[in-house]
Amino acid sequence: MSESKTVTLNMGPHHPATHGVLRVVLELDGEKIVNATPVIGYLHRGIEKICESRTYQQILPLTDRLDYSAASANNLGYCLAVEKLMGLEVPKRAQYLRVIMAELARIMGHHLWLGTHALDIGAMTVIFYAFRDREMIMAMNEEISGYRLTPSFIRIGGVAQDATEDFIGKVRKFVKWFPPALEGYHQLLTENKIWTTRTMNIGTISAGEAVNHGLTGPSLRGSGVAYDVRKAFPYSSYGDFDFKVPVGEKGDVYDRYLVRMEEFKQSINIIDQAIENLPSGPILTDNPWVASPMQSEVQTDISALIRRFMINYKGTPVPGGELYSAVEGAKGELGFYLVGDGGEHPYRLKIRSSCFYLASALPRLLVGHMVADAIAIIGSLDVVLGEIDR
Amino acid sequence: MNDLFFIPIIKMFVIFGVCLFFITYTTWLERKALGHFQLRYGPMRVGYHGLLQPIADGIKNFFKEEVVPDNADRAVFLLAPIISISLAVMLLAVIPFGAPITILGKKVDLYLANPSIGILFILGFATIGSYGTILGGWSSGNKYGYMGGLRASAMIISYELSMAFAVLSIIMVTGSFSLVDMVGAQQHVWNILREPVAFLVFLISGIAELNRTPFDMPEAESELCCGYNIEYSSMKFSLFFLAEYTHLFVFAALVTTLFLGGWHGPILPGVVWFFLKTFTIIFLCIWIRATIPRLRYDKVMKLEWKFLLPVALANVIATGVVMALFG
Amino acid sequence: MEKSDIIVVSRDRGEKGNYVKPFIKGLQYTLGNFFKKPITVQYPDQKTCRSERWRGLHKLNVDEKGELKCVACGLCAAVCPSQAITIVAREEIGGTRHPETFEINELRCIFCGFCQEACPKGAISLTKVYEYVDYSREDFVFDISKLRTTGEKWNC
Repeated sequence: MSESKTVTLNMGPHHPATHGVLRVVLELDGEKIVNATPVIGYLHRGIEKICESRTYQQILPLTDRLDYSAASANNLGYCLAVEKLMGLEVPKRAQYLRVIMAELARIMGHHLWLGTHALDIGAMTVIFYAFRDREMIMAMNEEISGYRLTPSFIRIGGVAQDATEDFIGKVRKFVKWFPPALEGYHQLLTENKIWTTRTMNIGTISAGEAVNHGLTGPSLRGSGVAYDVRKAFPYSSYGDFDFKVPVGEKGDVYDRYLVRMEEFKQSINIIDQAIENLPSGPILTDNPWVASPMQSEVQTDISALIRRFMINYKGTPVPGGELYSAVEGAKGELGFYLVGDGGEHPYRLKIRSSCFYLASALPRLLVGHMVADAIAIIGSLDVVLGEIDR
Repeated sequence: MNDLFFIPIIKMFVIFGVCLFFITYTTWLERKALGHFQLRYGPMRVGYHGLLQPIADGIKNFFKEEVVPDNADRAVFLLAPIISISLAVMLLAVIPFGAPITILGKKVDLYLANPSIGILFILGFATIGSYGTILGGWSSGNKYGYMGGLRASAMIISYELSMAFAVLSIIMVTGSFSLVDMVGAQQHVWNILREPVAFLVFLISGIAELNRTPFDMPEAESELCCGYNIEYSSMKFSLFFLAEYTHLFVFAALVTTLFLGGWHGPILPGVVWFFLKTFTIIFLCIWIRATIPRLRYDKVMKLEWKFLLPVALANVIATGVVMALFG
Repeated sequence: MEKSDIIVVSRDRGEKGNYVKPFIKGLQYTLGNFFKKPITVQYPDQKTCRSERWRGLHKLNVDEKGELKCVACGLCAAVCPSQAITIVAREEIGGTRHPETFEINELRCIFCGFCQEACPKGAISLTKVYEYVDYSREDFVFDISKLRTTGEKWNC
C-alpha cells in the first residue's frame, strides 16, 4: 500500500511574506506543517567583525543597519554600552531627546509590523494607512538628523544636534494626530471576525516556553511575562516617565497583536511627556575625548583643532573591560556585549539580537498549523533579518 | 436569410468589442479605486489619469518573453490560459444588456443568444472555465502553483453548490431558466426584494468563485505568491488576468440580471442602467477587497458547508413553501 | 516590576464582536478615506521639501576667491566609516596645501555626515541633492570638478 508522503515547500528567501530574506523550509502534509526549519544568513554583512576595525564613533552608522525599521533604538543601545564602559554622564536634555527618538523609532517599527502583518493576512489597505503615519515620523527624523530611515542621531555622549522648533512642533502635532489614527486601525482589524479567526489561538506559546526560547519584547509580553528592559533596568531617564507595560494572556498571534497596538499608545504617552518636559541645557557631555570642539573654537584655538584631529583621526580611547548593556528595541531586548582593550577599537562587540531568538522559536510555533497560519505567525513575531544576520 | 447572417455577426462584434473594452477598463477601475481607498492616486502617468494604462499593459505583456518552466507539462501549460479565457468570454453571449431597440425599422435584441437554459449555460461554463485555473496550477510544475490549483478545485466544488441553490430560488420565483425572462419578470419588483437571502448567498459565493479577497485562496499573494499563475508570464498571464476580470464582469452582470432588475430603471435608457448597476457591483467587490482580510482555507470550506449551503437550502424550501401557500 | 505598571490587554473587542457590524465599520472607514485627498505626490513632477539638515550628495565649498577651502588634511577620509574618500595632497610654495585629487565614491558612501562634522575648515558639506542617476559605476566616483558643482547639475 502507498504510505502518505510529505511535500517539502521552500518558503523564501524571496517569498513576499517572510519579511526580507528569511527562508523557512516547510514539510507539509496536505496543508498542515509537520516540520519547519528556518534558514538564516542571506543578509549577513559581518557587522560584528567590521566593528573590530572601526573606531567607536565609526561603528555608530553600522548599528543603524541592524534593525533598520527602528534605527534610533539601536543607536541608543550601542551608545549606552560605550558610555557605560567610559563612565560618561549624559546631559538631561540629550537623554530626553534620546527617549523621544527611541520611542519614535519603536512606533516606526510597529507601523512596519502592522502594515506587513495585515498585508500578509490579506487586509491590503492597512499598510498604506500605517505608512501614512510612518511618513510623519520619517519627516521628524529628517528634520532633526537629516536622514529618514537611518538617522545616526544618537551619539556617544549625547545627541548629534539640538532639536529645532520645527521638530518639536511636528512631534506635538503627531502626538495629537496619532490616537485617532490608531483607532482607525482598530476599526479595520481588531473586531473583524476574519481577523480574529485568523489570529486567535494561532501560534500559541506559553509563558514558560517563551522564556525558555529566549523570546523578548512584545512577543514575550504577549505570553503574559511582564519583562520590559525599560522598566526592569531603567536607562536614559526612562524612570522619569509614567507608562505601562502591556501584557497578553494567551500568547497567541492575537495577543501579540494587541500588545503591540497598546505599545503604540504607551510610546505616544512617553513622547508626550518627554516633549512637554524637555529640559534645557547642553546636548553633549563635556568629556574632551568625546565631544568634538565647536567649529568656531576650531577656527581660533589651536588646541581645539588638535583635539578635533585626535578625536577623528585616532578615535576615542575607551578603557578596557567588558560589559553587557541592553535596551528595549522595537522587537525585544537588544543587547550589546562590549569588550574593550583600552584602545580606540572594540576588541569584540557581540550583538544580542532579539530577532534571532524569535526566529529560533519558529519550528516550535509553526508545527501543526497550516501554511496560511505560518505567515501569520512569522508576521506576529516581527522578525527583521538585518538584525538576525547582522 | 439576412436576419440569420448579418445581424448576429454584427451583434457579436459589437457585444464582444464593447464588453472587452469595459473589462479592460475594469482593471483600470480596480487599480484606480484601490488607489483612492489607500490614499494614493493609482495609475496617473499613461494618458489622462492613467486612462491608457490598460492598453499600455497589454502592449507590454505582448512583448514580454514567453517562459515555460522545464518541468512543466508543456501542452497543458499552454492550454490552460486558452481554456480560461475562451470559456469566460463565451459567457458574455447570453447576458441581456438592454431592452430591445429598433434600428432602421428592425427590432434588435441586445443579446447574442437567448437559450431557454441561459442560467444553466452560465453556471456550467463558469465551472468548466475554472479548469483553466486548476490545470494551469497543476501543470506549472511548481509547488505553489500546485497548491493554488488544488485550492481552486476545492473552492469550485463547494461554492458552485450554494450559488446554484441561490439561483434555484430565483428560477422558482420567475419560473424560467431564460435570463431574458428573468429580467422581464422584474419589471415592477426587483428580485433583491423578493429574495434578499438568495442575493446575499449569491454575492458571497460569487465572490468566492471569482477567487477575490476575502476568498482569494488559489491566488493568495502573501501565502502562495500568486498561486496558480506563478509561472505564467507574458501574454499567457494576460489571458489569465483578462479571464479573471471577464468573470468579475459576468458575475456583476449576473447579479444585475438576477437580482437588480437588469435593464429596468426610470428615465435613462436600459443599457445605461444595466452598466450602471454592473459597475456598482464591481465597485462593491473592489471596496470589499480593499477592506477585508483573507480567510483561511479551511475556514472558507467551513463557511460554505456549514453556513452558506444550509442557508441556501433553507431559502429554497422557504420559497417553495411561500409559493405553495400564497402563489 | 510593580503590578501598577502592567496592563493586561483586553481580548473582549475581538471575542465579543459580532459578524456583521465590524465589517460595516471597516467598510465605512475605507470609504471615508476614499473621498479624502491622496497623500502621495506625483514624484518627478512634484517634489516634497527636504529639511535644512538633509544629508545628500557632497559638495566641496569654495572661498570668496573661488578656490577650494579644502586643505587636504585628510580628516574626512580618516573619519569616513565606509572609506569612500581618497585624497592626495599637494603642497605649494609658501606652505599652502591643496588637494591634488579628491575623490568620493558615492556608491560606497552611506551618507552619515561624519565628514561634514569633522572638517575643520567647513570645506565639505552635504547638499540637499538626493536623486543621482548615471550610466556606469565609474560615474559615481566624484572628482573635484564634479564635487564643486554638485547641486547645479540637478538643479535642486
